[in-house]
Amino acid sequence: MSRSDAEGAAAASAGRQTNAPVPVPLTPARGAGAGAGRPSAGWALMASELSVLFRRKRTVVMLLALALIPVLVAVAVRVSSAGSSGRGPAFIGQISENGLFVALVALTICIPLFLPLTVGVVAGDTIAGEASLGTLRYLLVSPVGRVRLLVVKFVAAVAFCLAATLVVVVAGVLIGAALFRVGPVTLLSGDTIGVGDSLLRALLIAGYVTVSLLGLSAIGLFISTLTDVPVGAMAATVVISIVAQVLDSLDQLSWLHPWLFSHYWLSFADLLRQPIEWSSFGSNALLQLGYVVVFGALAYGRFASKDVLS
Amino acid sequence: MAQVFKRWIPAAVAGVVVAGVAAAVPLAANADPGLPSKTPQEVVALAANSSVTAFSGTVEQTSDLGLPSLPGGVGSGSSGSGSSGSGAGGSGDAASDAASSALELLTGTHTARVFVDGPDNLRLQVLDQLAERDVIRQGDSLWLYDSQKQTALHATATGTGSSAPDALPTAPGETATPEQVASKLLSALDPSTDVSVGGDVTVAGRSAYDLVLTPQATDTLVGAVSIAVDSETGLPLRVEVTAKGAGDPAFTTSFSQLTLAKPSSDLFSFTPPEGTAVTEKSVDVAAAADRAAAARAAHASGAAAASGAGDATGSDSTGSDAAHRPVVTGSGWSSIVELPAGSDSAALTSSPLLSQLTTAVDGGRVLSTSLLNVFVTDDGRVFAGAVPAGSLEAAATASAAATPVAPAPSE
Repeated sequence: MSRSDAEGAAAASAGRQTNAPVPVPLTPARGAGAGAGRPSAGWALMASELSVLFRRKRTVVMLLALALIPVLVAVAVRVSSAGSSGRGPAFIGQISENGLFVALVALTICIPLFLPLTVGVVAGDTIAGEASLGTLRYLLVSPVGRVRLLVVKFVAAVAFCLAATLVVVVAGVLIGAALFRVGPVTLLSGDTIGVGDSLLRALLIAGYVTVSLLGLSAIGLFISTLTDVPVGAMAATVVISIVAQVLDSLDQLSWLHPWLFSHYWLSFADLLRQPIEWSSFGSNALLQLGYVVVFGALAYGRFASKDVLS
Repeated sequence: MAQVFKRWIPAAVAGVVVAGVAAAVPLAANADPGLPSKTPQEVVALAANSSVTAFSGTVEQTSDLGLPSLPGGVGSGSSGSGSSGSGAGGSGDAASDAASSALELLTGTHTARVFVDGPDNLRLQVLDQLAERDVIRQGDSLWLYDSQKQTALHATATGTGSSAPDALPTAPGETATPEQVASKLLSALDPSTDVSVGGDVTVAGRSAYDLVLTPQATDTLVGAVSIAVDSETGLPLRVEVTAKGAGDPAFTTSFSQLTLAKPSSDLFSFTPPEGTAVTEKSVDVAAAADRAAAARAAHASGAAAASGAGDATGSDSTGSDAAHRPVVTGSGWSSIVELPAGSDSAALTSSPLLSQLTTAVDGGRVLSTSLLNVFVTDDGRVFAGAVPAGSLEAAATASAAATPVAPAPSE
């Protein structure tokens, strides 16, 4: 055990004994330094973080709720069988002809609210949740560097984004295949592609939507470092995602639109054109990368310089 | 404290780097390419002799004509509900569709992909959010496909003549590609236009000459038209139309990306997907050529928007009787297009959206924009041109006097 470890442990035990908040010291924590010698510690932490996240009841319930949306859409279309009235979300008219469209309709419904909501809950909970449970100190003295903890938390949030998107797409494809016939898919351009090709495109879209949510995850991570109240961080993240979408719909602010992390959210449809329009994929990835860099650095600045009291 | 301060350094650096990259990329794209200087005549000749026959690219079209922006989907929403009705009202729906698509042209931004291979093969994809409108032309056959409404229109040219492909409309009213607009503008150059060459520009990553057309006429709303002509191939890459006295262009169509390679031939063969309502239509070449000529004349007036509206309304008038042909009066930039009273103009007057945008004047209603005015008389005639509203009213009075058959509204 290195000297800094001993110091950290001593500080932690002192905190427990006196039952008074003792700040985890900034300098001796040096978790990054101590951990750098043991890269396996980082992977172990990642594995435990992921298993904690995905075994948590809340996470499972959120994923189930997301899976319910394509099911509801498919059942509603199946039961009503009123045909397309020209209203409702995009692609909904095509469902009765091809079950694979259930996944697309469900994604279109989930992107504005449900996905940001669940991602906001997970990302907002990252640091603030540990702080409110009082486990943050123990994580940091275990020892885990603050940078490493931040990275692990962000990766876990990204893993949730991917899981959430995949759940919607996979549930949509399965329920669509169960209730409707599946066949060649008509793209937006009017061209038709085979089932295998269209499943590939569905996976591409899942990837696109996951990338789209990276910026929001980074924002949530940063907000989570600001507070010890996880609910506040979650709510703030969700509100920011809604504000961004409202701003995106105001034509008077068109100069701002390319800078909003939500601007390319619905452009996943560009993957449904023939030939695929990759430019929005690229712009979206670049934009999200910018958000991750800026808010990741902000989160580092805040988290690395703050006194952890709980 | 210094320690704490240091931890914020990455945040500051990240912000600066991201802002720097965001600012530097457009600057680099607009760097002066330093082309050898050319006279306006040489640039016009360069554009006229453009050898490009096959390319694919992305076109951005922006209109800022001073009309209030419509919330997304107003036009398509109303037409969508219209198309779900019974087929009996088909022609009325088509007309109101045309009106709303003409209106769509006058507001906002559109992105389209263009694939061209020779004069006979063209595919234009208007990229809407979660939807797409396609124009596919292969030889004498033309498809218009709308993914949102799941409708397709198949037009085939009937009759003979080498101009058959030209008779088919090549673009929906909403979008005009730079080379289409520029060729119409340049083919109508006359002494009433002052031609000069501005500074070199970079469009879609290619260096280009900036050809500036300034109308000499005083009675037009067009202040200047700037055409970016590719320095290598002569292909027009961008057209900007600026209203008189305005700083920013009111109408821009520009390539944002361009590849001078032959597009895949699969793109030009189109089979309507299952579940699509297909309308077959044959276009009489002679009548269509007349309409195209009138549309070209309107284009020549400089207001690409004006002819867009003319195309949109004109393309739906299948009846090719002479009474419904547009009439062009005046010449050059100040020419005025007159559409006689008919079902087309009824759509213009009956659309609630349009009646909100227009203002009532003596004898009709005027839709006024910075680049284009449209005057709809009470008896249904439509006058459009890149001229002040007063000129349109004068033209309407003159036209009514010339054709006493049309009863003048009683005073």
